[in-house]
Amino acid sequence: MKPRPPTMRGKRRYILARLDPPSVTFSGRDLYYAIAESLTSLYGDSGMACIEPSVVSCTGGYAIIRCTRSTEGRVVAGLAAVHQVQEVSVAVRSIRTSGTMRSLRRHLAGMGPGAPLGEQDAYFQGRSWTGVQYPGGKVDLFEKGFKNQQPLFLTEEDLEE
Amino acid sequence: MRCTDACVYPFPLGDSSVRRMAQEAGELGFDSIVAVGARRCIFRGVEVVSGTVIQGTDQGEVQAALRKLGGDPGIVMATAGDYALNRALLHTSRVRILRGIHATPRNSFDHILSRIAAERQVAVDIDLSILVSGRDYARQRALQRYADLTRLQSRVGFPLTLSSGARSILQMKSTRDIFALCSIFGMDEDGVEGAFLGIANALCPEKAVEVVE
Repeated sequence: MKPRPPTMRGKRRYILARLDPPSVTFSGRDLYYAIAESLTSLYGDSGMACIEPSVVSCTGGYAIIRCTRSTEGRVVAGLAAVHQVQEVSVAVRSIRTSGTMRSLRRHLAGMGPGAPLGEQDAYFQGRSWTGVQYPGGKVDLFEKGFKNQQPLFLTEEDLEE
Repeated sequence: MRCTDACVYPFPLGDSSVRRMAQEAGELGFDSIVAVGARRCIFRGVEVVSGTVIQGTDQGEVQAALRKLGGDPGIVMATAGDYALNRALLHTSRVRILRGIHATPRNSFDHILSRIAAERQVAVDIDLSILVSGRDYARQRALQRYADLTRLQSRVGFPLTLSSGARSILQMKSTRDIFALCSIFGMDEDGVEGAFLGIANALCPEKAVEVVE
C-alpha cells in the first residue's frame, strides 16, 4: 500500500514526561493504561478518541507520549492527574511539548542523569533503612525487612540531623 | 514570593521531609511553599512558610482552636463549612485562607461572602489534590465549585490561592501541570498567575492607605 503523503497525514504533538520516583520501573503498556484511564475519566470517550494518545517510548525514567495536535493541553492535564501505575504511586511530570520526537530526544540528551548514585544503610527515626541516593542530595529511604512499603523522601541534611 | 504552592503536608503528616518538598518545589517551578507544621526557613532558594490548618464545625470550635495556637502559627488556614461558618471565618482576623471549599454546599460561598473576602483580603484556596485523586461525582462537584469560584473571583476580585495539598513529593505538581489542571475548570493563565501570588498578598495585604517615604 502506498503511504499517505506527509501533507495529508494528521498532525501530531509529542510530550516528554519524567516519571518519578526513578526507582520504579514499568512498561509503556502499563503507563498507557494509566494515562488512558486518567484521560477517559477527565474527558470521556469522545475526548479520548480526539486525543488519540500513545506511549511512544518509556525508558530511563522518561516517557514520550504522542497525541493529536491541539489536544496537548488536555494530555498535560491528564498526565498531571495520573497518580498510580499498576497500584504503585508515581508522578508523571510533563516537561516539554514538541512537534517532533527528534527535538525531544535532543532535549533529553541535554538533561542531567536521574539514575541513582548508590545505596547506603541509614538510621532514621530509630529504625534501619536502605537509602537510595540521587543527584542533588536527595535520599529515598526504604525500610529494611518490609516488602512493597511506601518509601520516605528525604535529603542528606535530614539524615545528618 | 511570586509562585507559591499554598499547602503541602511534610513529614510526619506525609512521607517527605520539608527540605525535600522545598527542593522538589524549586525544581517544579515554585519559589515558595506553605508547609503545615513546619518552621519558616529557606532551603536551596525556596522559601518555606509555616502554616496551620484549623477545623471546626461551628464558630466556637474555631475560636477554641485559634486560642490553642502557639506564638507563631504562620499562615492560619481554616476549613470551610456551611454558610454561617464561612461568614464567621471571614470575620475572624487571624484566618488568612479558607480551605476545602469544594466539599461545602453550593450555596455556602456566594457573592456576598465573596465581597467580604475581597474587603478583608481573605484568600480562598483551590486544592488541586481532589482533581488528581478524586473520581466521578467527587471530582465533578469539585470542578463545578472551582468553576463557580473562578467566575465569582473574576467579578468580585477576592484573593485566590492554589495548592497541591501534597503529602508526598509524588503528589506535588509543577507550574505547567497546574496551568493545565486549572484550564479544566476554566481558569485562564492570568488567573493562575494571580492565584500563585495569593500567599504573598495574604502575608502583605494591600492597605487602604500606605505611607511611602
